[in-house]
Amino acid sequence: MPVEPAPPLREGGQRIRQWSKRESYEGIAFVLPALIVLGIFLIYPAYFTIRLAFYEGDFRFNFFHYIGIDNFKELLTNDPDFLDLSKFPPGGALINNLRWVIFYIGLSLTIGLALAVLAVRVRYERAVKTAIFVPMAIAATAVGVIWLFVYSPDPDIGILNAVLHGADGGFKPIAWLGRPSFVNYALIFAYVWASVGFVMVVLTAAIKGIPADVMEAARVDGAGEWAIFRRIMLPMLSLPLSVVTIWLFINVIKVFDIIYVMTGGGPGTSSRVIAFTMYEETFHNGRPGYGAAVAVIMLVLIAPVMILNVRRFRSERVVA
Amino acid sequence: MKRRSWLAALAVGILACAIAAIAAYSAQAKPDTKKADEIEVLSLWGGSEQAAFLKVTAAFTKATGIKVKYTSARDFIPDVRTRIAAGNPPDIGILPRPGYIATLASQGALKPLSSLGLSNAYMQGQYSAGWLKLGSAGGKLYGVPAKANSKSVIWYRPDSFKKYKFKVPKTWAQLLALTKAYKAKGLVPWSVGAGPQQSQWTLTDWFENIYARTAGPAKYQRLFTGKLPFTDPSVANAARIMTQIINNKYVLNGIQGVLGQSFVGGITDVFGPKPKAQLYFEGGFVGGIATQQVNKNLKPGKTIADFPWPTIKASLDHPIVGAADFAAAFKDSPEVRKFLKYISTGAAGSIWVSTNAVISPNKKVPAKAYPSVLSRAEAHQLATAKTFVFDGSDLLPGAFGDTWGFALQDVIQKPGNIKSILSTFQNKIKGQF
Repeated sequence: MPVEPAPPLREGGQRIRQWSKRESYEGIAFVLPALIVLGIFLIYPAYFTIRLAFYEGDFRFNFFHYIGIDNFKELLTNDPDFLDLSKFPPGGALINNLRWVIFYIGLSLTIGLALAVLAVRVRYERAVKTAIFVPMAIAATAVGVIWLFVYSPDPDIGILNAVLHGADGGFKPIAWLGRPSFVNYALIFAYVWASVGFVMVVLTAAIKGIPADVMEAARVDGAGEWAIFRRIMLPMLSLPLSVVTIWLFINVIKVFDIIYVMTGGGPGTSSRVIAFTMYEETFHNGRPGYGAAVAVIMLVLIAPVMILNVRRFRSERVVA
Repeated sequence: MKRRSWLAALAVGILACAIAAIAAYSAQAKPDTKKADEIEVLSLWGGSEQAAFLKVTAAFTKATGIKVKYTSARDFIPDVRTRIAAGNPPDIGILPRPGYIATLASQGALKPLSSLGLSNAYMQGQYSAGWLKLGSAGGKLYGVPAKANSKSVIWYRPDSFKKYKFKVPKTWAQLLALTKAYKAKGLVPWSVGAGPQQSQWTLTDWFENIYARTAGPAKYQRLFTGKLPFTDPSVANAARIMTQIINNKYVLNGIQGVLGQSFVGGITDVFGPKPKAQLYFEGGFVGGIATQQVNKNLKPGKTIADFPWPTIKASLDHPIVGAADFAAAFKDSPEVRKFLKYISTGAAGSIWVSTNAVISPNKKVPAKAYPSVLSRAEAHQLATAKTFVFDGSDLLPGAFGDTWGFALQDVIQKPGNIKSILSTFQNKIKGQF
């Protein structure tokens, strides 16, 4: 492993020495490539999208017909496919994404943590971990195709219906993706299957990092396994847990591929999420300005979490 | 040491600038890397339909030496949109929607055929006026009617009809009676695939056949060209009639089964090795997909056949709902001209129909070119139709054909809310024509 240059050390609140001019030029030269790449592929497109959100836009993505905040108004007040508060439970892509946030993050963390805690205790840990991690290595598109088969209403194809049918002969096959009330949860579960391996791997590594003497001391003091888990493991895992949570959160706000492959946002529009709406409006319905507005809303939702994440890393470094 | 690191930094900086320059340059430059003697054709076919088209292009390549690169995009509208926005459209697109041809033509993305050496007089010699009108926008002809299909046929299993002594229904009442009779035998009468993988369009075809038979072709034309609102009572009426069959009683796995099954999956439900339902409705292309893709053991006339959509109102008879795909050029080049000319000939049409996958709208394709009873009957139905209407959802502007399918997915789930669903849709489409 290459040795990282140590950050400028502080001693009594003072730097050991000031950077020379020459060194600061060098620094800029080293940062420049990254800055250029970021500028071209991140900052400029972000600026372009934000600006486009205030226009109607035409099919060549030109800034055509300035309309102010009309796109946002329409999205948040007059587009039941995006946000529909008129019925109960409320619907629309934004609410669906909220469902994703709650259930996808909740399930991934619970299952991942449970698997991590259990995996470190078995002898064939590596085999178990590999098996659970494999879905992580499958492209989301392929995950979608696999789960299309799993959920198929035809018991000769769909394993889920076949199992239920086997358990109960009178069971009528359910089209898991055909019911607006099920479809979001069916999609969420497929995606959890694909992400849980990552959560587990990160957490097992963290668990192994917990000093053994702390655990031993607790055991000597007579703490039960549950108490050890709650009072020692969980607090000591709080940093990796929060990192994983943020990773899951960002994953879930931009979820698109699995929905595109499995349902196309359907039945009707009942499984659309924010990112899917952006695609649908921009490329399908030919409303680039409106699609850009959706993208801006997505950015606004993700940005605070990112900032929190960066802050957290910084504070960790100071503590360390 | 110091000096070396300076140099390294400088080198990295220069390299980065070079990369940025290349990126900026290639964004500017026309991404035109393919060889001159190759053209790209984009359409939405996959499977047996794609294989059939490749046979047609193979004959073209053999005759001219021009290679044809076929790109398949099932979800073709986003594909075409992105590529136009990027300044890199395919040479030719074979587009299934006249409504989308009009949208593209109004954006100046398509080349009129007359500018490509296909004069109006020549085209009139190859195709009837009705087809040419569908390929036109703003008084100019843009699309070569490449292939056609009847959408007014219902697919059934003759062996099953024979077993239960059922007769081919001629009226909607008889079709309902047949449906009930199957149900009474303990069988599932219908399979409908209108869910995953963008299959909602099958519902729009159900609606169109019913609407043409209950409201008449004149109203049909006005509805799908924006002159009659979707809130007209005739629309709700046709939607209600549709739910007489597409409901939890008569379709495989109920409404949630319809929404959970794809178009091809629905064909498999009826004509696969293990049939689970008895009847399937979709266009003539079902025959090719069923016999070549789903189940190679099917015997046309014995285990798979179709009958014309029954009449609903005697006075309106049975208008034929048909669909066609139109080849239109995004770019002009000698190769593109040659390809369009070729695709408009009777010879190309004959090769295409010989694959059993399509019907040719071309006048120069003889009846004997059709190899199977199924496609010959379909060609006959199209050729002899007293009244012909074009697939309505394909006439809707832009992507509204899909939005209309989503609305019909709502209709079958909540038949009680038909009125509000239709008025929501009308609000969306208002002013879009």
